[in-house]
Amino acid sequence: MDDLSSLKKEFCEELESVGDLNALQQTRNKYSGKKGLLTAKLKALSSVPPEERRTYGKTLNEIKDFIETSLKNRELEFKEGEKEKRLLSERIDITLPGRFVAAGSRHPLNQVLTEIKDIFVSMGFGIEDGPEVELDYYNFEALNIPKDHPARDMQDTFYISEDVVLRTHTSPVQVRVMEKRRPPLKIIAPGKVYRCDSDVSHTAMFHQVEGLMVDTEVSFSDLKGLLELFIQSFFGKDTPVRFRPSFFPFTEPSAEVDIGCIFCKGSGCRVCKTTGWLEVMGCGMVNPRVFEMSGYGPDEFTGFAFGMGIERMTMLKYSIDDIRLFYENDLRFLRQF
Amino acid sequence: MRVSLNWLKDFADIQAPAAEVSHRLTMAGLEIEGMEEAADGDILFEVNVTPNRPDCLSILGVAREAAAAFGRTLRVPDTAISGDAPASGIKVEISNPELCGRYAGRLISNVRVCETPEWIKNRLEKCGIRSLNNNIVDITNYVLLEMGHPLHAFDADKIQENLIRVAVAGTGRTITTLDGIERELPPDSLLIWDGRKPVAIAGVMGGEESAVTTSSTNIFLEAAYFEPYSVRRTSKKLGLRSEASYRFERGTDIEFLENALDRAALLMQETGGGTIHRIVDAYPVKYAAPAVEVRYSRVNSLLGTGLKNEEMLEILGRIGLKTEDRGDFFVVFPPSYRRDITGYVDVIEEIARIYNFSNIPVRNPRAVLSDGVLNRKEAIAGKIKESVRHSGFSEVINYSFMNPGDLDKLKLPQGDNRRKYLTVMNPLRSEEALMRTTLLPSLINNFLFNLSRGAGDVALFEFARVFINNGASLPSEELRLCGIYYREQARSVWPENAPSFFIVKGALQSLYQELNLRGLSYLPSQEAFLHKGKSADIYADGNKLGFIGELSPQVAEGLGLKVHRPEIIVFELDIDAVMAASPATRAYVQVPKYPAIERDIAVIMDEGITSAEALDALNGFAPEIMEKVELFDHYKGKNIPQDKKSLAFRIVYRSRERTLTDSEIETVHAELVAYFLQKTGGELRQ
Repeated sequence: MDDLSSLKKEFCEELESVGDLNALQQTRNKYSGKKGLLTAKLKALSSVPPEERRTYGKTLNEIKDFIETSLKNRELEFKEGEKEKRLLSERIDITLPGRFVAAGSRHPLNQVLTEIKDIFVSMGFGIEDGPEVELDYYNFEALNIPKDHPARDMQDTFYISEDVVLRTHTSPVQVRVMEKRRPPLKIIAPGKVYRCDSDVSHTAMFHQVEGLMVDTEVSFSDLKGLLELFIQSFFGKDTPVRFRPSFFPFTEPSAEVDIGCIFCKGSGCRVCKTTGWLEVMGCGMVNPRVFEMSGYGPDEFTGFAFGMGIERMTMLKYSIDDIRLFYENDLRFLRQF
Repeated sequence: MRVSLNWLKDFADIQAPAAEVSHRLTMAGLEIEGMEEAADGDILFEVNVTPNRPDCLSILGVAREAAAAFGRTLRVPDTAISGDAPASGIKVEISNPELCGRYAGRLISNVRVCETPEWIKNRLEKCGIRSLNNNIVDITNYVLLEMGHPLHAFDADKIQENLIRVAVAGTGRTITTLDGIERELPPDSLLIWDGRKPVAIAGVMGGEESAVTTSSTNIFLEAAYFEPYSVRRTSKKLGLRSEASYRFERGTDIEFLENALDRAALLMQETGGGTIHRIVDAYPVKYAAPAVEVRYSRVNSLLGTGLKNEEMLEILGRIGLKTEDRGDFFVVFPPSYRRDITGYVDVIEEIARIYNFSNIPVRNPRAVLSDGVLNRKEAIAGKIKESVRHSGFSEVINYSFMNPGDLDKLKLPQGDNRRKYLTVMNPLRSEEALMRTTLLPSLINNFLFNLSRGAGDVALFEFARVFINNGASLPSEELRLCGIYYREQARSVWPENAPSFFIVKGALQSLYQELNLRGLSYLPSQEAFLHKGKSADIYADGNKLGFIGELSPQVAEGLGLKVHRPEIIVFELDIDAVMAASPATRAYVQVPKYPAIERDIAVIMDEGITSAEALDALNGFAPEIMEKVELFDHYKGKNIPQDKKSLAFRIVYRSRERTLTDSEIETVHAELVAYFLQKTGGELRQ
């Protein structure tokens, strides 16, 4: 029996030192091959005295099973390891960039315009547009700005002919819409407008969004409510808003809308000229004369209108200090958006 | 307008700090745009006066607002001239009373033209008017600033026949104005004449000949009311603007002009002695305040307030408006300095302004649904821009103008639609004189700009309107999508080696897919500015949508590019046509139930046959069980003869009713291949 336990011990030690599949095969041959040590023991079983043979045979069989199982397990282990090695050798540099078409950028003005449109559309406003080359009538007369009126000085105008201008504001869309449709009206009209002055803070073309809401009981309170909602969705929930009297020929009362300076939080800085406030929009109650020009009865409806410059909103939003950057179209600028 | 706080305090008892005065005035509608401290400790406000409030174009006018804002009473300066003045030797006649509502004047005799007292100089200069160190001229300016009424001083001895006549110019008149320039006068301009000739342009500028000089001893001082539109028209036509015309064209105070006249006369006498003569005053139709009726309920419904009747009247009283209660409405009688108040909304605005906008409650508007007619157009425009952007193009925005030479650079033929442009009468620069009829020139400029700043790869697009002049009063405004693409080198870890043309064509294909546009065709382009062999006009159902192609070498050379053989791909699409071709709805097609069988063929054919023609040939045969054909390979080079190319197609067969068998396909496929080879003159590639 001692020879068996020393065989097992020897096998175990040898298996332990086996380094690859080849060596394993040699070990297999050495023990369970045709001339193997284990095979020899099996063959010699008949020479074992009969009284010991039973126990001896049982132990020998156990050792045989043990050796075969161990060899098989070891073989599997080696095969797994080789697979592992092969996968590792196929390793890629996962930090290389992916293949993709880099998307271009949205122009910052259109980005802000889209944001503004989305806010108003979410509040139930429809989107309208009108011509950029506009009749003097719609751009001025119908908005209560007759020829020879000093209010025309507020807007330096490009002329195509005596009666045709490049629209100086998006307000003519108000009249065009009212001529076609009866209240309730709730619209915005975004678009390009033109004025013939150009300096550090003005460009010959810029963008506005006009808004108009008309119904039977629309009041200045509603105007305040709506614009506060808008400003707080655009500039942030805690932005202070104030309305102060101003003048536009097509609204009365007219107001300028100021927000608390977003740079100095109202304490006064260069951008807000130390006032703590920034002007962002003009607005007011639609002048009854405009209703009349649009074909509504003088006291049939009330409504409000408002307008804002997209360049201004964009400059505030992204702290851009030169309006001309918008029209240079330098990719190093555009790609930041 | 510059306003001195100390000067303002002459008329309103205001103790509040300057910042508070600034805030209250701003919130009452007189925006203080700037504030600075003068050397003498005075505070100077920069006031933005809106065109409807000419009454605030003076210290006194601003003081009136300040007094109302602080609940103080306004002290109007005492201008009474005591004693019995001698009669004036000068008579006044108004020939055009529709243009001149009042003309008053005083003769001041034996007055010394001398240095201006320091305190007057100081105030003038703080408010931005240079002192001429001539008491007469400086005092007219001083009173202009203080009371807002322009005055003019004549040397009375230069007034011939002792007559002042107010009449229009008529044809062929000229005058040399104070600034020494001889001016031709528009026939409808209103002038001041003496017995013989014009001596001043009414409300705009005096004449040189009758001007006050240091040797003048007798002065005739004018205070008049001229019709705003007339002064504005004359001043515009002459291109001549003055402090006086600025106020006259906005409207001056026809009643109060007498006080201004007297104030100036007294100051002149105080500084230069002399005798003030009796006023001559031609005032044909005296000012009568209009009666403006306002319903109390309208005030609250328009503002959203709950003001009581007496509150409204009290508020109006604060700014000097006389009112009368008439039960459910009231009447306002605006004074002569508030001619802007003509309708009930003007009165409501005054109430709102003085009540303070901040006190008007905030309410969320009642929900009203409104259909936006542009919503589909907006949605498609958004999809288009996003699609092109995702293909790598950055969005630009350019001015809507172009240069007259731009169309020639593109070699556009006469009669081309893009030659029907509009011209701006008063462009800022001659290069911006035309309205764009194509976006391409702008995009080319953007490309050159970025290239010169070192950008190697440039892919830009613009989505904007062009303006086609069809002869109607307004042009046709059409939407265009235009793009430009240039790649310096296809350097990338994962190289993309398709030619630029096909990269851009692919971007457009993504766009069509987004819009569900099918069946487009590409024909050799007719555009003169594109490379003849590398350009296409794009059609949908026979309608041209636009073009795509490489800029022709001649055009590229004309741009002065220093790049070796630049391949610049451009495209422009008519978006209205694209939208028309894009179906508004789609319908579901049943998913196939039976399996497909695929067969590939590769055919060597003449190079001149386009892939579209080859596909057309296959589709033209189209056996019933053929589901689709796809081109999957295009090859020229090794193993293919010169002037030939190989095209490979995958043909998918499928029946909607049953599973097809291989043997069924064989016959049909053989017929298809035979037909195709015969049609193209090609042979199967082994």
